[in-house]
Amino acid sequence: MKRVVTTQLPRPRTLIHPGRFNPVRIQSLRSSKGRHVRLALLPGVSLFDGLVKPLADIGITFASTTILGGYFEGVQYCVAPPDQQGRAVIAYSKPIPAGHTYMIFGNATLGKSINGSPLVHCHAAICTESGEVKGGHILTETCIVSRNPIPVLVTSLDEFELRQAYDPETNIPLLQPYKETING
Amino acid sequence: MGETIAVENGSMGRVAYARIAPNEDLVQGVEKLCLAEGFRNAFVRGALGSLVDACMGTIDGKYLQIPGPAVEIVSLAGEVRPGEDGSLRAALTGVVADPEGNVYGGPFVAGLNPICMTFEVTLEEWLPVK
Repeated sequence: MKRVVTTQLPRPRTLIHPGRFNPVRIQSLRSSKGRHVRLALLPGVSLFDGLVKPLADIGITFASTTILGGYFEGVQYCVAPPDQQGRAVIAYSKPIPAGHTYMIFGNATLGKSINGSPLVHCHAAICTESGEVKGGHILTETCIVSRNPIPVLVTSLDEFELRQAYDPETNIPLLQPYKETING
Repeated sequence: MGETIAVENGSMGRVAYARIAPNEDLVQGVEKLCLAEGFRNAFVRGALGSLVDACMGTIDGKYLQIPGPAVEIVSLAGEVRPGEDGSLRAALTGVVADPEGNVYGGPFVAGLNPICMTFEVTLEEWLPVK
């Protein structure tokens, strides 16, 4: 199906997921105050390392970040078509190489993976080496900052944690907020 | 348009993060997050996720439908304000990518952007000086 422009309001679709419907539709937590950092992703480092390491050094392990635009080498991204295996509604595609890329705008969430290691979930709009403007899920470990530093606005998420956990409804692991644990 | 004040002074307050579940509407989901956390004014500080299909307004008052699933949200900005009747109203704008990675942009139409797998959003409360 291709995009369409219409004068009539379309009817939204309700999809059926493989798991049991969770009656809690909004999982939210809050902190009493936002802490902000202006971060520069330095040339030669990956997007993943450029976010995770400097923020860890100042005690930030959970954050919402805005990547304000810049050049990367080796960008790969995924799109999200229907899952042909039927395990979930959609599944990420194989990585699509975009080469030397200008990231127009990106958002990245910093949390913890299921095994406790840092996790960066990033979506962005990019201008690829071939000149196309594309968008999708960015593989942050393959993206290497090009010649110039790239500014990032960081909003630290304090007083709670973002952890990847298996979500039975969608049958995939997802980042979800949890109250802080005392023993990590 | 009832807005007559060009400059509004204020300060930032609390920060809320939410994971909003499938089939919830993007725009009304953000409004409900404000209800859940007690925010009356807020700015989006970061957001990403996916939609079943996307619906955005066009410059000539029509509706741009981008079929999925999934349509990825790759850029999102916006705010939540109280309406004149006291209700909460989110105005969200952004860029989405279809299942082939092609991008489209515009204002998200309330009620017509069901979330596909998940929507991660960070809101920062805005506290206007009265």
